[in-house]
Amino acid sequence: MNQYQVPTAEKKLIGSHILVAILALALGSFFGPLQAFEHAGWDFYVYLKPLFKSYYQGLTVHGVLNALVWTTFFIMGFLTFNVVFGLKRPLKNMLLAKVGFWMMVVGVVAAAIPILANEATVLFTFYPPLKANWAFYVGLTLVVVGSWVEGWGMFMTYTAWRKENKDERTPFIAFASLVTALLWQICTLGVAVEILTMLLPWSLGLIDGVDPLLARTYFWFTGHPLVYFWLLPAYISWYAMLPKQAGGGKMFSDSLARLSFWMFLVLSTPIGFHHQYVDPGIPPIWKFLHSMLTFGVFFPSMMTAFTVVASLEYGARKNGGKGALAWIGKLNWNDPSVASQLLAGILFFFGGIGGLTNASYNVNLVLHNTAFIPGHFHLTVATAVTLSFIGISYWLVPYLTGRKLWQPKWATIQAWVWFVGMIIFSNSMHVLGLLGAPRRVPLNLAPYVPEEWNSRLFQVGLGGAILFISGTIYLVVMYMTVTNKQRVEKEVEVPIAESMQDPAATPAWLDRWAPWVYGSIALIVVMYGPMLFELIKNISLTSPGFRVW
Amino acid sequence: MANKKGNDEEFHPTGTVVVLVIFVITLIAIWATIYMILVGRGGTL
Repeated sequence: MNQYQVPTAEKKLIGSHILVAILALALGSFFGPLQAFEHAGWDFYVYLKPLFKSYYQGLTVHGVLNALVWTTFFIMGFLTFNVVFGLKRPLKNMLLAKVGFWMMVVGVVAAAIPILANEATVLFTFYPPLKANWAFYVGLTLVVVGSWVEGWGMFMTYTAWRKENKDERTPFIAFASLVTALLWQICTLGVAVEILTMLLPWSLGLIDGVDPLLARTYFWFTGHPLVYFWLLPAYISWYAMLPKQAGGGKMFSDSLARLSFWMFLVLSTPIGFHHQYVDPGIPPIWKFLHSMLTFGVFFPSMMTAFTVVASLEYGARKNGGKGALAWIGKLNWNDPSVASQLLAGILFFFGGIGGLTNASYNVNLVLHNTAFIPGHFHLTVATAVTLSFIGISYWLVPYLTGRKLWQPKWATIQAWVWFVGMIIFSNSMHVLGLLGAPRRVPLNLAPYVPEEWNSRLFQVGLGGAILFISGTIYLVVMYMTVTNKQRVEKEVEVPIAESMQDPAATPAWLDRWAPWVYGSIALIVVMYGPMLFELIKNISLTSPGFRVW
Repeated sequence: MANKKGNDEEFHPTGTVVVLVIFVITLIAIWATIYMILVGRGGTL
């Protein structure tokens, strides 16, 4: 094995990201089961009263730490690794990367203080007119800006590489990571504008009110592509790493993989109105147009599904896999990193279906603001993304620390326990939603719960308990790994699946940035411009802030 | 490279096609079920 040696400084930086991510996951995951238990009638919040005041405070901690902090830190660490390892060169400007990282850390602390003090119980969507303490908004801004700064560092590294490699195709893991970082830079403009022009001055008392509709529009400008910011790093692993780990497979098509990443960049931002189907003030034509483009994202999603499954099938058949589906059994299920990501992919099968039903203009009316929605995003961000990141950490942490993964068998068990827990939890949430159960409600206190919900509410609690066990096993495995006295005999091999097709044969237009970036911006201007112009022209900063907790 | 490509070209991802067909059938079934719930609740929900 003769692989590029990532410099120690970069390894430390990447490891610091993973450490903060896992700490956030640990604390945030403690509150996840509490929500589920509450639904089942087992309210533990009464015992936490002196520290945590309400179900909603717990839900805010869970959402912010798990959906925002765990993901963003893990992703920035993983993308940095991919750029450095893929381009085979250190970061062009380490200071910039460190500044970005510490801005993010300070931001998390700044946001955490008001959340823990019950001064920012506004959930992770922080919709106004719910009003948080100003420090919460400052903290979120710092996290976003810090991640931008880190992204600039990645772009500088790429530019330096490109100068020396004018005719080379960008190595796939670096290419896909840079596209993901660019997507993040573009889409977070929405939430940055929301906070800096409305929420922060409002929380500081500089303006008296906000315009909730405009704020929601800014939020969902960021909110939907945020889903792809979460998913694309998992896709990078599924495309370019998992096939190698799962059975010596190869990436089925380098060209298809690159095209799908470009399509995600172009299509994932100008579709945010599909989260606002029931918002008054957005004309139906814009909701319809955004719904059509949302279905456009189905194409790169299916290209991804095809390429990833074909890459896995190739490896499995090489190892003796037979039949239409029996080959799946020949994948390397004993490797915890593989098992985690395969199980994440299986549940994402259903997450994708749920996403398409949510995106359907009329069908969405049955599902909107019901328990179906958290049921859905626990299959996507809490499984496809989180379980994949867990799987990645099973090789990445030993690679970064030089310490052996502690008890790989327990790591594999952890993945299966998560899979079982999530099936129970998510299925019951989906069914509850179809029965009309609202989301974001402590249902144990609701006087209107019909008899037919009870068995499903119990299953929500049961699923939450199983997920809690899985999360605990993960944290134990990670802690025991980083403190493991047994070191790896040789550096952990970074699993990179070579492409079946020579990457040099990939068309040059799939490695050119300008047309895709200009195309993305143009589509955003067309799909958002007129409506944003109208909303800003008629801005109505009249809604006072509410504290309902 | 030519040899590598030759071997890879023999691979036909038939299992992948089966997986995706199952996906599409499941998608249609679930979508249609929810659509029937919508219709069953009446035009105004």
